[in-house]
Amino acid sequence: MPLFVKARSFLRNLFLSRRVEIDLDQEVHAHLEMMAEENIRAGMQPNDALRAARVELGGIDQVKVQVREQRLGNWLHSVLFDCRYGIRQLRKNPGPTAVIVFTLALAIGATTAIFSVVYGVLLRPLPYTDSNRIMAVFEVNAEGRWAHLADPNFDDFRDQNRSFQAIAKYSEYVVSVSGASQPSRTTVAPVSPDFLKVFGIQPILGRDFTADDAKKGAGRTVLVSYGYWRQDLGSPQDLSQAHLKIDGAVYSVIGVLPAGFRFPADVDLWLPADLDGENPSRTAHNYYAAGRLRDGVTVELANRDISAIARRIHDTSSEQGDYLLKDGIVVSLQNSITGKARPPLLVLLGAVGFLLLVACANVANLLLAQASVRERELAIRSALGAARGRLIRQFLTEAFLLSLAGGGLGVLGAFWGVAGLLGLAPQNLPRLDSVSISVPVLLFAFLLSTAVAAGLGAFTAARVTSGDLRKGLVEGGRGQAGSQGSQRVGRVIVAAQIAITLVLVVGAGLLGRSLMKVLEVNPGFRVDKIVTMDVSLPWVDDPKAKASQAIFFSNLIDRLKQIPGVRKVGATSGLPMNQDGGLPDGMFLLMTQNEIPRTTDGFGALFQQKERIGNADFCVATDGYFQVLGIPLIRGRIFDERDGANSPHVAVISESLARDRWPNQEPIGHTIEFGNMDGDLRLLTIVGIVGDTHEYGLDAPPRPTVYVNLFQRPRAAVTLTMLSDADTRMVTSAARGILQDLNPEIPARFRTFSQVYSASLGSRRFNVILIGFFGIVALLLATAGVFGVMAYSVSRRTREIGVRVALGAGSGDVLRMILGQGLRTIFIGVAIGIAGSLALTRTVESLLFGVTATDPLTFGGVTLLLVGAALLACFIPARRATKVDPMVALRYE
Amino acid sequence: MSPEPTSLLQGTLDLLILKSLIAGEMHGLGVSRRIQQITGGTFVVKPGSLFPALHRMEEEGWISSFWGASENNRRAKYYRLSKAGLRQLEAETKRWGRISWAIAQALGVS
Repeated sequence: MPLFVKARSFLRNLFLSRRVEIDLDQEVHAHLEMMAEENIRAGMQPNDALRAARVELGGIDQVKVQVREQRLGNWLHSVLFDCRYGIRQLRKNPGPTAVIVFTLALAIGATTAIFSVVYGVLLRPLPYTDSNRIMAVFEVNAEGRWAHLADPNFDDFRDQNRSFQAIAKYSEYVVSVSGASQPSRTTVAPVSPDFLKVFGIQPILGRDFTADDAKKGAGRTVLVSYGYWRQDLGSPQDLSQAHLKIDGAVYSVIGVLPAGFRFPADVDLWLPADLDGENPSRTAHNYYAAGRLRDGVTVELANRDISAIARRIHDTSSEQGDYLLKDGIVVSLQNSITGKARPPLLVLLGAVGFLLLVACANVANLLLAQASVRERELAIRSALGAARGRLIRQFLTEAFLLSLAGGGLGVLGAFWGVAGLLGLAPQNLPRLDSVSISVPVLLFAFLLSTAVAAGLGAFTAARVTSGDLRKGLVEGGRGQAGSQGSQRVGRVIVAAQIAITLVLVVGAGLLGRSLMKVLEVNPGFRVDKIVTMDVSLPWVDDPKAKASQAIFFSNLIDRLKQIPGVRKVGATSGLPMNQDGGLPDGMFLLMTQNEIPRTTDGFGALFQQKERIGNADFCVATDGYFQVLGIPLIRGRIFDERDGANSPHVAVISESLARDRWPNQEPIGHTIEFGNMDGDLRLLTIVGIVGDTHEYGLDAPPRPTVYVNLFQRPRAAVTLTMLSDADTRMVTSAARGILQDLNPEIPARFRTFSQVYSASLGSRRFNVILIGFFGIVALLLATAGVFGVMAYSVSRRTREIGVRVALGAGSGDVLRMILGQGLRTIFIGVAIGIAGSLALTRTVESLLFGVTATDPLTFGGVTLLLVGAALLACFIPARRATKVDPMVALRYE
Repeated sequence: MSPEPTSLLQGTLDLLILKSLIAGEMHGLGVSRRIQQITGGTFVVKPGSLFPALHRMEEEGWISSFWGASENNRRAKYYRLSKAGLRQLEAETKRWGRISWAIAQALGVS
């Protein structure tokens, strides 16, 4: 009951304050009059009676104030009062207020936008039930690198582990799919039957895979994503008639997965893996694996479990060598997806944090300058009895008003910023679809604004209310001595600002120089004027079918060559810089025709002979590919008409392979066996050596590569490359027509090679643009900070300068004095900044290329830039100081 | 009348107000005079203490107020003890008894 009474009083005080006040007024007056009547009854004259009553009452307003302070909700009233007063104060100085709000909005908005990316990519839990229980499992190879799983190894993990309630392997690739609304290149994932159990989901329509669906030779079944079911299948409720032709084989659609489930990313169709049987090799690393931990099993336990199984396999397997696993590892699925994105994103977050600090420093200086103007007002309020706590609260309130206004504007800006970031973000950044201004991001923005407000408010309040406030009255308004302290603080802030800015700009400089160094790298091929066309035929095993695919591509290439403007046409199994994945790599054997063993064990023995083995990427290509990309022939020849399907198979190798594998020898004429790549055991005669290419990006060293001829070693999925002077759109539509003509069921993807090339630089460019932007903004803010503090200092010292000039100081002396004061601040900031940069650039070391983290050129250049900008900012007020007219200055007061 | 003979602790003032209102509803001046009377003139409550206390206690729900007519037919605000106030009075009285006994023990004046 009392709670109800309290609530009622609280609301009454808040909303009916007029009535409450009238009530109080009447009550006190009645009280006064009754006392007066008492006094009259006691025999006093009416006038004296009233005066005596007044004395006893002790002042009507004082009584009222004391009652008000007792009231419930009184604090709210005073907060509202502070806010009103604060808003009035801020509106009195619209210029500085706007600058402060805008600065805070910029900094808070930028920080919020970056945080939304960090949150969406790194922090937001994966959208599955208990997603923190879902783990990724990898093999660990001899070099300590994580590798995908080979089929028998996965089977052992699955059957022998005691840590997972469900574990599944999966892979993904792009194939041609027809049978839906139109033929398309679709990402499909072959998975083992427990796949959905790992993610804790079930089909919303139809059924999940069973063990029978995954048996060798079982009827082909497929699960489809919700989006695919709606858009490509037309949302049929009855799936019995739904069939898809995937990679040339017909599959029955048995189930539809819930909306939003797409794992791995962009997959629309899930098929049972290994319908044609597993690969018995323990060194063919074809699958990812994910598992859901049993209740009560920790990640460490699961790691020990998997590691023990892996080492047992290592110790007992007959397949030894570098490609056999050495150990196993379990990490959370989320980390395995986003691990690579973590360092650059954290660097970005750090950079924007620095920007925030620089912005706050500017705001702090502005607030300080404003507060010292208000010294008189504070002195008067203090003299009239305002407690120090009340004044501190006033400053906190004003800081909160500013920060919340800035934060609100900033969040609005962040919506726009996130859209921009998503447009700019590199394509290989995972989980971009989960980046948005979500509730946690808004909460972050709010907490950030609050923290900024608390920091700024406490700082100004502490500065302003320290010492004897009433001195403000004595000082005669234009405080000289009293403001010395606050000017010193201003200079300290500016020095800190310069230091932070220097670190940020050095970071941006190092990343920018890295990008330039990367762009200087000769990729080993031409980029311009090339249109690429991805085509996947159904995967086939039968040699005859393979041969007919080779003929298909041969025809396609011949027809493409006839497109007007197209000069050369080639085909390759792996376009350089393509982020869809790289070329397969493996070990080849150096041997002659007579040495080919008859048994698998015989091969095993040969792989033990170090002098026979070599390691290389395996690329299927045509002669035209080298011509289109302009990959130079160093020696020997590339493929030509001699190399028909029935002639001896030939290979072209890259320069680095020739150098490393055949030092001081001529590789041309040697024969190698590379059958573990495409199952063809026929020997390859090396006929030529071509230049190295940076297959995996300019910042990755070229890989040793073996090229084989597409017309001898056919392959279902290739990228056609067309060198053309004609308009890209024209070439694309002509090529599409030709493909349609040859086989209407095969879709294609067209890009220009420069798009592919440019995307490979995406993440580097992203970092440079953002950190560069933050650096520039910080530089502008810091320059403004230096200018502000110097200008303020000069205006405060006008009289002193006037005296100096009157006593004979020349304008050079004044200039030197002011500049000297500024330079001291700048140099202290620069020194701290260089020390900080040396300590902090180590964190971006992994993002650098061709420059060290302590690159002297970057450090020197940035220091010069910063000192130059800061000096310029000092120079303007210093010049103004030289123009001081002593007569005016001395009358300044 | 001032300075007050004994400075009043807040809890004590509440207790005295509750105690005086047990005699029936009365206005502020009445409460003030009643306290003076029941404490034999030891405690004189000034309006600056009385009104804040009355309003606070009303917000606590221990007393309620209404407008009535005074002895001279003047409009005055009257206060009345509520059930919660009565309970509070009992609790406070017991507490006071314990404290005063303890203090008396400590000072050796019992």
